[in-house]
Amino acid sequence: MVVRDDLERSRLTVFFRLLLGIPHYIWLSFWTLGAILAAVANWFATLALGRSPDLLHNFLSAYVRYVTHVSAYLFLAGNPFPGFAGDPGSYPIDVEIDPPAAQNRWITGFRLFLALPAVLLASVLIGGASAGRGNGYQAGGVAATIAFLAWFACLVRGRMPLGFRDALAYALRYSAQVDAYLFLLTDRYPDSDPVLPRPTAPTPRPAVRLELTDDLRRSRLTVFFRGLLALPHLVWLVLWGVAAFFAAIANWLVTVVRARPSDPLWRFLSAYLRYWAHVNAFLYLVTNLFPGFTGTPGSYPLDLEYDPPERQSRWTAGFRLLLAVPALLVAGALGGGLLLAGVFGWFFALATSRMPRGLRNLGAYAIRYSAETYAYVLVLTGRYPFSGPNLAEAGQASVGPGAEPSSGVFTEG
Amino acid sequence: MRTPEVDPAPRAPGPRRRPAVRILLAAAVAAAAAGWVAAAVVLWRTSTVPSNLHLPHVDLHHYFSARELSRAASFERFERVDFLLAQIALVAVFAVYAARGARLIRESAAGPIGTGMLLGMLGFGLVWLVQVPFGLAELWWQRRHGVSREGYLDWLFSGWGGLGGEFLFICFALLIVMALARLLGEGWWLAAAPTFVGLAILFAFLTPYLLGRVHPLRNAGVAGDARQLERAEGLPPIPVRQQDVHTFTTEPNAQAMGLGSSRRVVLWDTLLDGRFTRPQIRVVLAHEFGHLARNHIWKSLAWYALFAFPGTFLIAVAARRRGGMSTPEAVPLALLVLVVLQLLALPLENLITRHLEAEADWRALETTHDPRAAEGLFERLATTSLAEPSPPMWDYLLLENHPTIAQRIAMAQAWKAGR
Repeated sequence: MVVRDDLERSRLTVFFRLLLGIPHYIWLSFWTLGAILAAVANWFATLALGRSPDLLHNFLSAYVRYVTHVSAYLFLAGNPFPGFAGDPGSYPIDVEIDPPAAQNRWITGFRLFLALPAVLLASVLIGGASAGRGNGYQAGGVAATIAFLAWFACLVRGRMPLGFRDALAYALRYSAQVDAYLFLLTDRYPDSDPVLPRPTAPTPRPAVRLELTDDLRRSRLTVFFRGLLALPHLVWLVLWGVAAFFAAIANWLVTVVRARPSDPLWRFLSAYLRYWAHVNAFLYLVTNLFPGFTGTPGSYPLDLEYDPPERQSRWTAGFRLLLAVPALLVAGALGGGLLLAGVFGWFFALATSRMPRGLRNLGAYAIRYSAETYAYVLVLTGRYPFSGPNLAEAGQASVGPGAEPSSGVFTEG
Repeated sequence: MRTPEVDPAPRAPGPRRRPAVRILLAAAVAAAAAGWVAAAVVLWRTSTVPSNLHLPHVDLHHYFSARELSRAASFERFERVDFLLAQIALVAVFAVYAARGARLIRESAAGPIGTGMLLGMLGFGLVWLVQVPFGLAELWWQRRHGVSREGYLDWLFSGWGGLGGEFLFICFALLIVMALARLLGEGWWLAAAPTFVGLAILFAFLTPYLLGRVHPLRNAGVAGDARQLERAEGLPPIPVRQQDVHTFTTEPNAQAMGLGSSRRVVLWDTLLDGRFTRPQIRVVLAHEFGHLARNHIWKSLAWYALFAFPGTFLIAVAARRRGGMSTPEAVPLALLVLVVLQLLALPLENLITRHLEAEADWRALETTHDPRAAEGLFERLATTSLAEPSPPMWDYLLLENHPTIAQRIAMAQAWKAGR
């Protein structure tokens, strides 16, 4: 995934974005038919030759690139109107595809079956909207939710929020990898690790940061019973949640009056949120260890680190719930990814006693963003959650292809 | 570091006191044992059938055909073997877990109590896994004989749900035990036993509200019989409910449950599906009202209390080998001791429940004055549930929590003879 986007958006094209895409929808539907036929031919050819023929490989690569360009345009991840040929380097959100290489025939033979989990995950990350049988519409998916919210943001500001753009780039990158795998352009399994693509600009310092020191090892026994083992924690979380609900109302009132949260309430609610993160990390296999019941800082491989209570605007505190709605929508969409990562991780960890890094980091991303959102809702902080999958503090932004992922986010213990 | 020198003189009274302490301890234990036995005798005597009642010999061939007897014997034989194998597997798993389970502490980032909970849940989880084949075998056998209608997947998923309930229960129990052990030291069991008795009372009170698929009786005739029988037993109005179970079993059953205002009689809908006559259902209702009239649920709780004290004491003694119940390392061993104690207590427990059930049978005869219906009911119960009317003695002592069908028929005959 290559991102050369400056975040600037034309309000006019944003307003008409879905309609402007009509010529692309028509062209895409024809190209998709051709791509399906080409993919079948490529499957036979790869089975026979052990590699994808150049002609088919180039045709399908162009198709995958074109789908990425059009998706980026529709989801507002890119601003310019894309070309119709899927030329490499022709769009600010682009994918680089390796030339044809030898592929494992077994993996090729069972490609459709093997791709199923990745396709499901991609559908959760990308999503879409569809008309129901009745009068309603159904919408879902991380990218679709973000695009819906970004439409309003871009119309107002004329600029795409960095977090939204990075999250879209991540979803599009994963979707392109799934397409490439499905169309036999590569036999490398799609990698759901949100650490990639790396941030292209310094990201804001979030009020709640996630520390993850996990070695990916999983105990098969605790994995098998994971859902049931989490039951006492879920019960305790609900009971604690009742108290947290009233504490949050009190904290909201205090903050509206004093422009600063109450210290005891802040400590109580931050411990609750930390405990919530511990329980979710355990339940969805982001970590291995059974957590404690107190939300003690530093007691768990996935931990939340908070800035101390700080001054907040009375206005944003007063309208906090309303302001949090977009973040809650994104957190809800990411929750689908967390659930799927947990389910797939369950099977994988049961078989190999290890959690795939990509799924683990996707789960950590969802927990980090949700924790930031809830910290905002509970008036622990006045800083808005950053929806980008990866964080790079000022001065540490990784801008080049060789740069290291940002430090302190996902580390191996 | 040098060990400080100690004047031997002050140590002299120690050894002299030890025998005295031992004697005192032995006396206390003997007094407690005597008190326990006295309480058990008193409790036993609160439930009686006439002491001069002579149960006549019952010729089973008069009630059952040779084919029915043979079919029931064959059915129960498999069930018994399956049960025994399952119990052996249960003890074996807990024995291995007691020896090696403490290694799983490394899978926890929780404190001692949280880690103890994890070990408790994993122990029960392992047992569930090992018991799955035996449970499936039993289900297969019951389906083959038309006793169960439950699907294999349904059974598996309901078992999984039930395991979740067990996990919550064991966590709560360990929270109480380990918190008390950390608070009170080795004497935790003195506080834990009454706490568990209190919880058992609470659970007995709440049980009627936890049942699913329950609704009021739809059969007006049976509902009228229930009103008449509860008046005859001198009971206040007791709700009688019907539970829909026909989708997963064909076995008939009824239960009396609850305490005080939560008291209920619940009839399975398999009892009301036309296989039993109305007089026979009256006997069932009278039996359940008999349980309530004679306070059998309170008496069962009293028996539980009697067993809770020595049981928790023995667990506390065993747990000392692993640092006591305040440490998670002791949990696997404590589970083993608990399971073994439960197995050892099983014959005694069945003796007590048989005693209570016999009294309820007698109350039913006294209330309905219909021994013919009672005989018909027991005969029908045996054929529908494939219960062996007169099982082997070891099975009777170890597994049967009701009088045998032969004994129940004999009681009906004895009642008739007494008139």
